[in-house]
Amino acid sequence: METDEAPTVLPSTTKSSLSISLHPVPILNISGHLTRLRLQTRKYAPFAFGALLGTQNGREVEIVNSFELISSGAMPKVDHGFLAARKEQYKQVFPSLDFIGWYSVAVAPTPMHIAIHEQLIGYHPTPLLLVLQPTSTDLQKDSGVLPFKAYEPTVEIRDRKSRNVYIEAPYKIETGEAERIAVDSTAKGGAESGTLSSHLQTQRAAIKMLHDRILALVEYVSNCVAGTAQKDHEILRALAALVASLPASENKYFRSEFEDEQSDVLLTTYLSTLTKSQNILNDIVDKYVTMTDMGREHGGHGGGLRSGKRRGEFIGARGMRIMEDWAR
Amino acid sequence: MDSKIAFQTFSLENDIKEVDPKDKLFDFEEAEQRRVVKEEPWKKDPHYFKSCKISAVALIKMVIHARSGGIYEIMGLMAGKVDGDSIVIMDSFALPVQGTETRVNAQNEANEYMVQFIEATRQSGHKESIIGWYHSHPGYGCWLSGIDVNTQDTNQKYQDPFVAVVIDPNRTISAGKVDIGAFRTYPEGYKPPNASTEYQSIPLNKIEDFGVHANQYYPLDVQIFKSKLDDDLLGLLWNKYWVNTLSSSPLISNRAYAVSQLNDLAAKLAKGQQTAQQRRGNPEGLVLPTGAELARLTAANKAGDKDAMIMSPPANKTSAAKGKEKDVSASGAVSLLPPKPVEDSALMKAVKDSTKIASEAQHGLISQMLKDIIFSNRPGIAAPSKTGSVESTVETAMAAE
Repeated sequence: METDEAPTVLPSTTKSSLSISLHPVPILNISGHLTRLRLQTRKYAPFAFGALLGTQNGREVEIVNSFELISSGAMPKVDHGFLAARKEQYKQVFPSLDFIGWYSVAVAPTPMHIAIHEQLIGYHPTPLLLVLQPTSTDLQKDSGVLPFKAYEPTVEIRDRKSRNVYIEAPYKIETGEAERIAVDSTAKGGAESGTLSSHLQTQRAAIKMLHDRILALVEYVSNCVAGTAQKDHEILRALAALVASLPASENKYFRSEFEDEQSDVLLTTYLSTLTKSQNILNDIVDKYVTMTDMGREHGGHGGGLRSGKRRGEFIGARGMRIMEDWAR
Repeated sequence: MDSKIAFQTFSLENDIKEVDPKDKLFDFEEAEQRRVVKEEPWKKDPHYFKSCKISAVALIKMVIHARSGGIYEIMGLMAGKVDGDSIVIMDSFALPVQGTETRVNAQNEANEYMVQFIEATRQSGHKESIIGWYHSHPGYGCWLSGIDVNTQDTNQKYQDPFVAVVIDPNRTISAGKVDIGAFRTYPEGYKPPNASTEYQSIPLNKIEDFGVHANQYYPLDVQIFKSKLDDDLLGLLWNKYWVNTLSSSPLISNRAYAVSQLNDLAAKLAKGQQTAQQRRGNPEGLVLPTGAELARLTAANKAGDKDAMIMSPPANKTSAAKGKEKDVSASGAVSLLPPKPVEDSALMKAVKDSTKIASEAQHGLISQMLKDIIFSNRPGIAAPSKTGSVESTVETAMAAE
């Protein structure tokens, strides 16, 4: 199948300047789409494609949601009626999201992707392509790289003819607070969280991750110093800037804010403790009253109860006095 | 290069692998589902469904949707199937409905949308049918209100199997875990054998609505499931977003909610005290300032910091708060003297609420303190006081639990 046809993806020397943020929802949507198709078609890598929704601000693109697309007739033909209707439906629920691109499952973009791309230009001048690479989940599991690749379409002029090609674009994962918690609890398989130990564990995992990254950087820098690694001045400058910005919170306004926050929490804890002791005290008083009531009812029966009552009154009176002291 | 890709694509397309057992739940056997729906085993036993399995993607979509609603309730539908005595939710989608408090109900404008959306979903190869609805209760916990009970009841009558899912986005954020509940209503006239459920904090202004209908439905056990691919992806996602765990401050993102919680606690304590006084029939004495007052002041104090929403803080609040804090235990004990089980549990509930607020705040503080140690120590200068303060905070948190 080696042809004289030019590759659909330009070599990695050309970098896209797009800054793409990818949210977990489209990732899991695509994963769900693929899993379902696998079960329905009994193939490991069936052809799946869908639309990506998100926001674009200049060169910053955020991919927030996605929906599946269907083809009308032969494979690379997009069902435009379906796409338009679906787009409208999502617009009603998430008014801020626009069509910004599409996704597919493939090892890499092929001419067929370009064919689909050409049909989607009507919805967005430069629709992004997000590709899920089905093989890589098994292979790259240890490398820690998500099996997704983002591509930005561009035009290449070759032999005086322009043609559509893709260049790879870097992306980063973006999560909101709610997303993070939801992803967290699903990733852990619904283990009981929210308690102190699980909270501390999350913190520990994050700090360990930070530690690992710092170790990697330290190793790189020491290799640079030793001359075994090639110096990348951009990285080294970024590192220097980072180190210079530490310690991060010596500003006195920050300190006082932080201390305020700390005392707020302590006050809340105090409140909780007081409420608790109030409850305990209330219990004791209840028990005492029950006891003395019994004493009153069966007062004549025996000295034991009566003396109990007297003692109780004594404690009551003394307690009262102590409380009055406190009140002052 | 292209030939290599083509070969890989070809071998992948024709490579038939065994279905991972984890993925079995994603399969949809139409005949089997039709048989189950025809048999309607849930008609015979009001407790037929025991659990509700929610796919990772459905859960995350619902949580994000609920969060996007802010202070408003949102709602949507869920698609899935029946698997034994559990309802399996495979996907969820939002409806263009937004309401306040009691008004969440699918109205006509939503109905048309619903029909079209489901139609389009079927076209794209989804075979699952609608199996339930979800809506959010921002800030007041997962339970069914009177209107929710009616909605769910109607649906169970006409399109069973059906399940109601409730999500509280505010509590999700503040507790750091997804606050979700799945419910089914009992048929009319059915008396549940044991009505007691786990205690949850419900704001004062909702408590009546909660209490009246609490025996008309029961909760299902909520489980999360995911495909093998989801599993791999979620694992990899963690590698990317651990930064957020460090960079976000739960104390700041929860401020408004924490203040509202404290206000609610204050209202509850005040109400408890009031009823206690009335029963005692003894309005004099040293009773007035109480825990309620302190809670209100704490709230005011917090709110004052950021000049936000909430009431005007009383003058010389620190000294006032200090004076009153001392009163709390004294007046509380005196004013709550009469032994009545109802009153007991009201105070007990307040204790649980305040413990929860405090432990969430402590968790937030612990992460802030850890960050403080990591990012603002000068190398070479040991900071024993800081580590010490973290230790003591953790200890208090442990004691509180």
